[in-house]
Amino acid sequence: MSTLLLDASAILAAFDPGDRHHETARVLLADDSVTLATLDLARYEVANVAVCAWRAPDAVAPLLFALDRIGNDGGVVASTSTLLTRAAELAERHAISVYDAAYVAAVGEGDRRLVSCDERDLVSKGLAVLPGAH
Amino acid sequence: MAKVMVSMPAELLAEVDAEARRLGTSRSAVLRGFAEAALRGRPADRAAAMRLLLRDLSSHGGNSAEQVKATRPRP
Repeated sequence: MSTLLLDASAILAAFDPGDRHHETARVLLADDSVTLATLDLARYEVANVAVCAWRAPDAVAPLLFALDRIGNDGGVVASTSTLLTRAAELAERHAISVYDAAYVAAVGEGDRRLVSCDERDLVSKGLAVLPGAH
Repeated sequence: MAKVMVSMPAELLAEVDAEARRLGTSRSAVLRGFAEAALRGRPADRAAAMRLLLRDLSSHGGNSAEQVKATRPRP
């Protein structure tokens, strides 16, 4: 069974019917034929968007519950010094932020793929695939 | 099929053997079944929880990737 690592944008899109990737992200989160994982950074990012962009603090609890369920599935990767050192190298190489690069570094070696709605910085550079494109 | 050695308390092994007798199968088959159920069950549990969670949602304007970037701390 393949493992997909979701960044915060993919998780948020599943919770926002106004997002153009909503349907594919929603289907992915409810797909029992794949293993899903994420990075600990996503906890902060989804909460930050819910509070500061959505102005919907009530959405934080269900978002974090979703992250816990993903954690019980494929796990929540920890942002260790080793991972962030690798992220810094990737950020420099691909001209992306260390935040975005941390997700790329979390994919690591092996049979994982990063799923993101970030077309500009991740998908267009071949560093991630859109929900539904896995 | 690979062969492995597994350590476990004698009491637990006795329960595994009892389950094997009940099912009329081998100790290995029982342990294999438990491992498969545990590993395959995790995506199923997550998917079931998500189906409940992703009902009755409100729109928040979309562009999740841009929203993530816009709400990150700035240097």
